[in-house]
Amino acid sequence: MLTVATARRNALYCVAAFFMLSLVLGCGKEYRFIKAASFKGPRGISITFAGPVDEKWAKDQANYSINEKTDPDIYLRIAAISLRPDRLSVTITLEEDINQKATHTLAIKGIVSEGRNMGSAIVDVKKFYLGYLLSILMGAMIINNFVFTKYLGLCVFFGTSQKKSTAIGMGITFTIVMVASAMMSWFLYQFVLKPFRLDFLQIVVFIGLVSLSVQAVDTILRKVNPVLFKAFGVYLVLVIANCIIIAVPLILADNEYNAIESLMLALGAGLGFLIALFLMSSVRERIELADVPPTFKGLPIAFILGGLFALSFMGFSGMSLF
Amino acid sequence: MDPVLLKLAVGGLAVLGCIGLFFGVGLALAAHKFAVKSNPMVEEVLEVLAGAQ
Repeated sequence: MLTVATARRNALYCVAAFFMLSLVLGCGKEYRFIKAASFKGPRGISITFAGPVDEKWAKDQANYSINEKTDPDIYLRIAAISLRPDRLSVTITLEEDINQKATHTLAIKGIVSEGRNMGSAIVDVKKFYLGYLLSILMGAMIINNFVFTKYLGLCVFFGTSQKKSTAIGMGITFTIVMVASAMMSWFLYQFVLKPFRLDFLQIVVFIGLVSLSVQAVDTILRKVNPVLFKAFGVYLVLVIANCIIIAVPLILADNEYNAIESLMLALGAGLGFLIALFLMSSVRERIELADVPPTFKGLPIAFILGGLFALSFMGFSGMSLF
Repeated sequence: MDPVLLKLAVGGLAVLGCIGLFFGVGLALAAHKFAVKSNPMVEEVLEVLAGAQ
């Protein structure tokens, strides 16, 4: 009996380890021989290699092609290529300024190092990573708040923002379910749907995954923490009916985000919803005491409030952090 | 019909079926493992009581 239990636990660990491993591998899709690629100045891209490359190969412009990831058919023109004396780093200068907010794809043909062909590589070049991640997080949370700028998830937003306590409970549950389902759908999209060319089924699959994660959280929470489960009550099931939770996986799939970026977007969307619910519930608690004309009592005034919040959130629009 | 499309359809059915089965079994196991004992009388009483909501 004991051995069966340990075997089962080991199997569980194996599955978890595999999952984590594939997530980590999925993050670093970079080719091994290229150690780093980053923007350098307004027009430059610098590439660091793991070993010295041949000068003749490195200086040949035909070996490099650069494009914005979203426009694979528009190649950016290269003005000059310089090689550092230690032959470990190449700087490509382009003819025009680079739009550094966009991810660029850099394809490098047949790298030659010490006379040996190291194969070709395709790398993504992005701006400073931590800042980029933070800008995704803050972007989803505040600048492009899903409720106030995209008007998604309004049914749950108006339904659960009457009291502060339920608003916060809903926000936290939502964030948990959001992160879980977004990570699962990212994984499934990258490793199952895309390789099998089934990406046209993404909506169906994502809906299934959302209900799966809600059901799983429901089942586990009921046993593990009955008090919290009682506190969440009906809101846990209501999460299924939220538009944000299906919008985020679709955005992830569209933008080809990697694991960490997906995590940041999901977290940002969840926390943004929490902020929106908290703000709205604090105001609605006060509105209860105010003298509202009978026509506007209840939901109508709440919609007007939502509009005012959206107006004020417009102040953030177009901001860029890094 | 185009064999490529046919392959896609059958492959899709198989892959999604496998995923569905996998998660379905997972959920069933989870429900079994995290089962909460509830008093059967609660449901019986609820059945008898009137209540539209």
